[in-house]
Amino acid sequence: MICWRMMRHVKMPRVMIFSMRKQKYVGAIAAVLAVLSVIAASHAEPYRAQHAFAAAQNAAAAASGTARQVTAREGTDREVTFNRDIAPIVFHICANCHRPGEAGPFSLLTYDDVKAHARQIVSVTSRRFMPPWLPDRGDFAFADELRLSDEQIALFRTWYEAGTPQGAAKDLPALPKFTEGWQMGKPDVILRATKPFTLPSGGTDQYWNFVFRAPVAETRWVRAVEIRPGNKRLVHHANLLVDRSDSARHEEAQPGDGFAGMELQIESENFDPDGHFLFWKPGTLPRPEPNSMALRLDAGDDLVLNTHLQPSGKPEQIQPSVGLYFTPQPATEFPVLLQLECDKQLDIPAGEKHFVVSDEFTLPVDVELLAIYPHAHYLGKDLLALARLPSGEEKTLIHIAHWDLNWQAVYRYAQPVKLASGTTIVMRYIYDNSQDNSANPNDPPKRVVAGNRASDEMAHLWLQVLPTNEAGANPAGAAERVGVADPRIKLEEALARHHIENNADDFEAHYNLGAMLQMRGETRDAAAQFAEAQRLRPGDATVENALGGALLAMGQLSAAIEHLSAAVKARPDYFDVHYNLGLALARHEDFSAAVEEFRAAVRLSPKDANAEANLGSALAAAGALAEAKTHLERALTLNPQNTLARENLDQILQDAPH
Amino acid sequence: MSMEYRKIFRCFLVCCAILFGAMLWCLPENAAAPSVVAGSGVAQDPWASAAGKVVVLIFVRTDCPIANRYAPEIMRLSAKHASDAAFWMVYPDKRESSEEIRKHEVVYHLALPVLRDPQRELMKRAQVSVTPEAAVFDAKGRLVYHGRIDNWFEDFGRARPAPTTHELADAIAAAASGHPATLPSVAAVGCYLSDLQ
Repeated sequence: MICWRMMRHVKMPRVMIFSMRKQKYVGAIAAVLAVLSVIAASHAEPYRAQHAFAAAQNAAAAASGTARQVTAREGTDREVTFNRDIAPIVFHICANCHRPGEAGPFSLLTYDDVKAHARQIVSVTSRRFMPPWLPDRGDFAFADELRLSDEQIALFRTWYEAGTPQGAAKDLPALPKFTEGWQMGKPDVILRATKPFTLPSGGTDQYWNFVFRAPVAETRWVRAVEIRPGNKRLVHHANLLVDRSDSARHEEAQPGDGFAGMELQIESENFDPDGHFLFWKPGTLPRPEPNSMALRLDAGDDLVLNTHLQPSGKPEQIQPSVGLYFTPQPATEFPVLLQLECDKQLDIPAGEKHFVVSDEFTLPVDVELLAIYPHAHYLGKDLLALARLPSGEEKTLIHIAHWDLNWQAVYRYAQPVKLASGTTIVMRYIYDNSQDNSANPNDPPKRVVAGNRASDEMAHLWLQVLPTNEAGANPAGAAERVGVADPRIKLEEALARHHIENNADDFEAHYNLGAMLQMRGETRDAAAQFAEAQRLRPGDATVENALGGALLAMGQLSAAIEHLSAAVKARPDYFDVHYNLGLALARHEDFSAAVEEFRAAVRLSPKDANAEANLGSALAAAGALAEAKTHLERALTLNPQNTLARENLDQILQDAPH
Repeated sequence: MSMEYRKIFRCFLVCCAILFGAMLWCLPENAAAPSVVAGSGVAQDPWASAAGKVVVLIFVRTDCPIANRYAPEIMRLSAKHASDAAFWMVYPDKRESSEEIRKHEVVYHLALPVLRDPQRELMKRAQVSVTPEAAVFDAKGRLVYHGRIDNWFEDFGRARPAPTTHELADAIAAAASGHPATLPSVAAVGCYLSDLQ
């Protein structure tokens, strides 16, 4: 009898086992983000009319016109001068980086500056090493293209060969007005890396990750992020990722230390696949997201800055900052990051000069393509992405004929590229593992396969897309309304199944598909996918937790407890695991063990009302009514609407009203 | 060149150095006068103090990123060959002030004697065209190698993870061992000296 009464106290909310935060969405790097930017003229208001970079582009266009004009008039022997012909190009294309405090190693702001590097400018522009812009001209224009015309390049040579004449003072245009400091004004919040990273004077490139604790007490919406890398001359590029699950913190020896690593694996919450690129490269100016696509930042989230650093010849300290600009308007449109990859195909023999990998994925929904981010390591040579339209016509999305990891970037389209359902995205990458590839990390070359280290290889293509419905509008509502019919889920599920078809050992694909099936209530199929993922990474806390949770939902308590215990062992400070293990033990009627797990959960997350309610309920079931009452009351303080705590507390008061 | 002639020649150089050194004190820094000038502003002959060692000139400028990235390697090589080679840093850019050069030496930990070459005498003698570029002279003062330090940089922005050939070290070893042959020049990647005024 008593036993029955106690059971009534312990109303384990089964539904909560699968509350959103219990399932994790795993993705290699950018399942999480790629450049903060932009999004398309149809959505975005330019940040401000006199925005330096926009001005630079306009002026560049003007300069390009000048160049053509001059070329046309060369037959008249018109002298090419710095003041009239060269300065407009240099000021608006080069000076943004080549000025004090910026990434360029020397300034190009005056006649003397430019003259002192004239031959070098001819050399680097004719090789198209400068300005740094990798993609060839394709079928769709990118925003902020940093490409000189052939005429402009010829103009530099003509000027140099003529003896670098200065020209008439009246012809010299004014320097653009550069904004110093934060480009969008003072951010609402400035995060500074806790500890600087010391970059040695020499040696190979380094990859370092800084972890920032987001200082928000409640959910905030971020309309823009400005990344200040610390020393722009050392940081080749930087990716900012939102970490909603403390993944990165666990890589740090001490909080704030940061950690080494070229590629990151960050878990993010399921069914809220962050679809933003937050990227910095030299010359990048921050651009706000359209308000409809603001980035969500929750209390407890971390921001992880993944940096690629190049030694300068002297020891350097790097301490980056990140500025956040908030908006009161929650996002109403949710872009998705799709990742195509061919890592499984990467097994490149030593000496192979032309190793080709390819992948094709057919879109199951209409999308607008907003941005693209091709990624390979040092053996990458030629990177191509195409869209094969339902008509059969092929359009080049991006082609980089001379890949250079050092200048990798996220490329945003000047206008969203509309791709109808049934369009096939094709990626084809070519690798050079011979001695002819000077970037080859191995001397002599040796067999290279896929991996996260700089000496391994990768074949990834990220696409930022905004799913659209038939009417052309994005149907996704508020984040919590994401449902089975959401085109994002359709996209992600199709992609996960595609990856599994390509590679039965794709951990992330099995995991993500499991999470999506779980969400749809197809627990048995979900458990099968989680079991596949667990087979690939036994002992991984995330997947052991997911599998344990699915088994628990299926009532397979012993197996659930086994996997959840493995997860606790792997990661003792993982709140979700203690919570779920507590539930499994309670359902197994091992209340004293359940109490210990809920105690651990409460210690890790003292403000979680559900954890307090379950602790109170388990204590009640174990007979510790006084202590149970304390925790149930605390749960109600945290959340007065918590029905479990309310019902069990009422029961206790009813049984022992004093 | 006979030994006797060599001695006379060296003596002449030293005399010139003293003479120019005296003149220098009254001249502005960038004056078009004596060519080879130590960082201190005193005229100097790198061969005068070489004491039969191989002389290595490394041409750099303070704002050349490739030259700067070579700083640790330059110091490593100079330490490794300290017993048989005398290293000098040469700053040929007249626009660079002594203060800028001193600062450059400090921040890049370049603990080597400094020369300036406003008249391009060393540049001509060493036949160099970019920074960083090395020139190696044997114990008899003959130019035996000029060109890249190694093959770390293949082109602008294209660096190997580590060099696979080591032309400067090879040239020093050859010169120090009295190897008579002149090594072929291998073009260096860097900042063009012809851009300098």
